[in-house]
Order: sequence, then structure tokens, then C-alpha cells
Amino acid sequence: MPDREALRRHALSAVVPVTVLVAWEVLGRLGILSEDGFSRPSRFFPALARGLADGTLLEQTIQTYSAAALGLAIAVVLGVTAGAILGLLRPLERAASLTIDMLRPVPSVALVPLALLVFGFSRNMSASVVAFACFWPMLIVTIGAVRAVDPRLIEVGRMLGLSPFRRIVQLALPAATPGIMVGVRIAAGIAIVVTVTTEIVANPRGLGYGMTIAGQSLQADLVWATLAWLGLTGWLVNWLMLAGERRWLAWYWAVRT
Amino acid sequence: MDAPVLEARGVMVAFGAGADRRTVLEAVSFAVAREEFVCIVGPSGCGKTTLLRVMAGLAHASAGEAWFGGRRVDAPQPDIAVVFQDYGRALLPWRTVRGNIALALEARGIPTAEHDARIDPLLAKLKLTEHAAKYPSALSGGMQQRVQIARCLAQEPQVLLMDEPFGALDAITRHELQDEVARIAREEGRTVLFITHDLEEAIYLGDRVIALAANPGRIAEILTIDLPRPRTQLGTREDARFLDYRHRLYAHLEG
Repeated sequence: MPDREALRRHALSAVVPVTVLVAWEVLGRLGILSEDGFSRPSRFFPALARGLADGTLLEQTIQTYSAAALGLAIAVVLGVTAGAILGLLRPLERAASLTIDMLRPVPSVALVPLALLVFGFSRNMSASVVAFACFWPMLIVTIGAVRAVDPRLIEVGRMLGLSPFRRIVQLALPAATPGIMVGVRIAAGIAIVVTVTTEIVANPRGLGYGMTIAGQSLQADLVWATLAWLGLTGWLVNWLMLAGERRWLAWYWAVRT
Repeated sequence: MDAPVLEARGVMVAFGAGADRRTVLEAVSFAVAREEFVCIVGPSGCGKTTLLRVMAGLAHASAGEAWFGGRRVDAPQPDIAVVFQDYGRALLPWRTVRGNIALALEARGIPTAEHDARIDPLLAKLKLTEHAAKYPSALSGGMQQRVQIARCLAQEPQVLLMDEPFGALDAITRHELQDEVARIAREEGRTVLFITHDLEEAIYLGDRVIALAANPGRIAEILTIDLPRPRTQLGTREDARFLDYRHRLYAHLEG
């Protein structure tokens, strides 16, 4: 009975969140958990509904995710390009390694003052910090993935008479794509974290700013509702990316199974 | 005889330096005539694959030269195709059978509109028509090797270099592919240099067989195989001359 089996698994994975929510509600009503900080689950949903109804939550969601997506896209394009070049040309990677090792540990949030000077309060300010944060994992994952491409495949390209550029675009990059996609999913998680961080510390837009304002006006229910919303949408984004990967990289999943 | 199409002139290959220097091939010279099917047979470690890589322009000789069509080979060229033994690594797993063959046409700059007209006959020739839309991972080893051969033919090379192409296949599939490669080479007038460690395969396929001895790799004997074509798996292998060739070459493989 595979269907009942699946149902049981779903039910099982719901046990923890449901228990937590019920306990939370009970402890809140008993006055053990302070109303000011913890609010109560039964208040989250009205707060969430209000935010969705008046459009503020949706607007903030679009602001946050468009900044994250823009920054991620820039990081993927630059990281994959630079990673492919450095992965294929070892001398160049040796020459660049000191620069990379010095720039990589710079906390992305430390770039906020600079980004603020350059871009002002805007989507691009958050996106630029995200691009910096996501560039490094993309670069490092791509270097590794390109280096792991089977040399036999490149020899096939040489024998067929493909130019070096086409050997990269038609052979090395597609072969490295499954590895690169792992980097994209890691970077996507970082992108959302960094976007929300920039919104909390500096940028008056998006879900991070919404939570800051809600907190300052003592609306604990809205803070919790926004947090839950962030978790839900983040999970959705990850699910969509996995689904897209299984669709567009069908050959890879076929090889793996 | 015509001027040879493919020629090894004193090809010597050594790896390492100083005390670690190891000679893999020692002054190997031979010539392959147009439309000739030459097999190179030798024990493992005799440098057969290294020799093929030098002839393909994928590796450089430490001394001596590979020649093709009156020019020195020092890089891969479109008129020479290589069928690698490890078909699983040589095919693009993200492309279908048709897409893998198309890669050779793309490399030659043939317009996409003409691809199907060129690929369909190759699919038919290698019995791949019903598998055209499948990915390599869905095919058996023999089928995957057929795809690689089809891709090499799409390159329309003068010379086919084959590096133990059937070494990883079961006996039945191996015999089937031997007959097909022999037939295709004859029909299309391709020159073939075929590497194998299987003595009987070399005699069955070759117009001539070059036997290599190991440590260091060198030519032990060159035999002209005087067996009528088309050859058949049962008839030819039972021919008294076939057995005689086998006896004469066996000694070298024992080394």
C-alpha cells in the first residue's frame, strides 16, 4: 500500500509542527509565554490575512524576492563565467587565488554602507550585496565542476574539430551543469538571507523592513506571521528550483538512477 | 602501391625523465594504404593506445613522426576520427542518440536543416533508427558503441582509428559489430587502423596485422592476411589459414 505509506509519512512529518503550535497556543493562553514577544498562533493567521489583504505583504515579498533574484542572477552569470575560465586555466587560477582568498572572507553585510553610497535606498543596493555574497560559492563550485569534467569528452571535441570556445560551451559547461546547479541552490538560500539582512539593517523595503517596523510598533503577531511567510515562500522557491532541475536536467537524473 | 594514407615514421614515446625515464614505444614504423584495414595487436602495456593517440594527433611522439596524407600530424584533424573504447565516457549524456551524432555535423558547420538528411542514413546503417530519440543511458553498451561509430562516420573522415572498440562488449555483440564495421569500412572506402588485444579479432578483421611486443613496445611481426572477403564468423574462423595465422602470432603475445 504505497499510498497509505506516503500518507503516514506526511502525517508523521506534521507531528512536530502541530505539537509545537498547540503547545505554544496553550502556554500563551495560560500566560506562561509572554504575549508581547511570543504572541499566539491563533493570532498569526489573522495578521497574515490582514497583510495579504491590504497588499503590503505581497509588495514586500516582491521587493525582497526581486532583489534576491537579481543579485543571484548576477552572481550566477559572473561566477560561472569566471569559474569556467579559472577551472580550465590552472595558471590563471593560481594567479587569482590570493585575491580570491582575501575577498571571500569579507562579510557581505560589511558591504552595506558602501552599497548604500553607490545605489542609495533601492533594490539594486540589496541586489549588489547579494551578488557579492553569492558570487563566491558560484565561483568555487563552478571551478570544481569544470575541473571534474571527463577529459575524454574534451578529446572527443578536439577530434571532431570543435574550437576551444565551443568545447567549453558545448561540452564542458553542459557536463558541469549538475554540479553548478548544486551551487545555484546553495546560493539561492544565501541570497534570501542576505536580502532580508540588508533590509533589516539599512534598506527601507521588503519583508525584512516590514518585520523591523512591525517589531518597533510592538506587533508581535505580524513579526511571527512574516517569519512564517518567509519560511513558506523560501521552501516554495527551493521546491520550484528542484522541480525545474528534474525537468531540464532529466538526463542527469536518468544517469544517477 | 599508392602513397600511404597514414604512416608512422620511427615513432618513439618515452615518459618521465632521468632515472625514471621509461620507453613506451621504440621506433615504430609502418604504413597504411588507402582503404586498407590494418589491425594492431599486442599484450596490454605494449603501448598500442599510446601509438593510436600519436597517430590521432592527441599525443606527441618523443621522436619520430605520424604522417597523414603527406602532412605531419601534430594536432587532431577532421579527416581522422577516433572511436574510443570507453563509449560511456565519449558520448554526451545530455544529448539523445540523434543529438550526439549531430555534434559531428555541428563541428563541420553543416546547416541544421541538412542534419536529419545526413543522420537518418547513418542511424539505419548502424541499426539505431528506433533508438534515435533515446539518451545514451537508456542504451546497452553495444548500442552506445554504435552511436559513437555513427558519430565518427558523420565526421566523414578518411581514416578511422579504433581503440579496442569492442573490448568491453560480450562475445555475441562483439561479433555482430565486427561484421558491421568490416562491411561499412568496405562500402564507404574508409581506411581503418584498429587496435585490439584479441588476436582472433585482429586476424578476422585485418588486411594486415601488426603484432607489437611489450617492454618496450616494438613491432614483432607484420602479417598480410590472405583470407577472402566477406568473411564470416564461422567459416573464416575455421579456415586452415586463419588457424595458421593464429599460431604464428600467438608466440608474440605470450612474449
